[in-house]
Amino acid sequence: MTTERNSDDVGSDEVTLESRLERLEVILAKLETGEVELEEALTLFEEGVGHVRSAEGILSRTELKVEELLARGDTAELENENAG
Amino acid sequence: MTDDQSLDLFEDAEPETTEPTPPEADVRVWSVSQVNRAVRSLLESSVDALWVAGEVTGWTRARSGHCYFTLKDDKAQMRCVMWASESRRLPVDPEEGMQVKLFGALTLYEARGAYQMSVQRVEADGGEGLWQIAFEKLRQKLETEGLLDAARKRPLPAYPSCVGVVTSPTGAALQDILTVLRRRAPWVRVVVAGSRVQGERASEEVARAIDSLGSSGLPDVVIVGRGGGSREDLWAFNEEPVARAIIRCPVPVVSAVGHEVDVTISDLVADLRAPTPSAAAEAVVPDRATLLEQIRVLPERLARGLRSTVQGRKRLLADRDDALGRSMRRRLEPARQSVDVTWTRLERALGSTLERRRQRLGALAGKLEALSPLATLERGYAVARTQEGALLNEVADFPAGRKFLLRVRDGSVECEAHERVNEG
Repeated sequence: MTTERNSDDVGSDEVTLESRLERLEVILAKLETGEVELEEALTLFEEGVGHVRSAEGILSRTELKVEELLARGDTAELENENAG
Repeated sequence: MTDDQSLDLFEDAEPETTEPTPPEADVRVWSVSQVNRAVRSLLESSVDALWVAGEVTGWTRARSGHCYFTLKDDKAQMRCVMWASESRRLPVDPEEGMQVKLFGALTLYEARGAYQMSVQRVEADGGEGLWQIAFEKLRQKLETEGLLDAARKRPLPAYPSCVGVVTSPTGAALQDILTVLRRRAPWVRVVVAGSRVQGERASEEVARAIDSLGSSGLPDVVIVGRGGGSREDLWAFNEEPVARAIIRCPVPVVSAVGHEVDVTISDLVADLRAPTPSAAAEAVVPDRATLLEQIRVLPERLARGLRSTVQGRKRLLADRDDALGRSMRRRLEPARQSVDVTWTRLERALGSTLERRRQRLGALAGKLEALSPLATLERGYAVARTQEGALLNEVADFPAGRKFLLRVRDGSVECEAHERVNEG
């Protein structure tokens, strides 16, 4: 699911849920004043919908990733017998 | 107390004879060391460990960690020692004059020949006295530094991507936390920094784990905690290393130690205190179902925003249109006026020309009429012409028998000359 449409990374997995939701707030605030140019409004709308879809994608993940912090900041999958 | 309890410490060691005999050749002479060793083993083997109550005085902690002090009451005193292996477990050193109960064994310090108590436990009066004192001391210290101010509490991130957990990797607390995270926010990444949470040096280990999570840059929020236990089990979380590590952690920390009733120093310095590890997990992540509900209405809001933008643009455009029209009219007005003036002048000029023409035409028409032969005929004159149209206007033109046409007012008549009449 790579969207090359915008130079920013609307569809990227690297973007956190938090920054997506924050960006959505900004977009909504702009759109709801009704004062942006039409062209920009369309772009914002598309970007916003992209963020919603990606956020839903993030929220639909079901596997909790549990890692163990090792020396020097590395991590490794944590053995977890009690899970499930 | 122990007054009525006979200790008969030296019953067996009392000299056999009361009469001192001078040291003769075959009498055994003891060295001081031998005596002290003997007394010591006698003391240690014949007296069980016991509780003694008294007042602490002259408590000193050597660099080695060994502690030396005197326990006294109003009549007597005894030397006490608490080895580093034992004193390490003390939450705080007793203060001068503090009433305590000591548990330990009697022994002899051979180098001085002085008996002393080897202390294993110290309890301040009032049950948890020493713990309470230690807690209060650290609390006051941190409070003086302003580290317990409510203003220092950082808000937790609303949507963390990564949650750090400092606890025992084998403890129930970790499982409780993971269960809640799995249910509420399975998209988050969990990074666990395992640590012993009780026993010797647990405080330093917990502190190190917090520090390494903080410097890893991974978590957006950190949970520090452990499950329930005795006051002593939870003690690491009442110690300064943990408190300082929480304070310097670059991301917000949620403290969850033991059960709801247990309040620790780490709870006080953390950005949020959760009553249990499960509650801490609940506090750090949003609930998926709620969040999904909120997100699903967003496309509609976006669409409404877009619509309102379009309408706003339309209105603006209409306004601009009006403005344009007005400005055009304003600019055209003078031109139109000058056109009007020109037109009027043109019309007027044109009108007068026509009039003159008309008048002239009338005059000409009058003259023309005057000249017309028809008018002569009107008056009763007639014109004679040959069949061919040649004008006959003399008597000579009419020989007898000549046929000619006579033109009168309303037509022509065929005539024949009959007789000449010369009168003129």
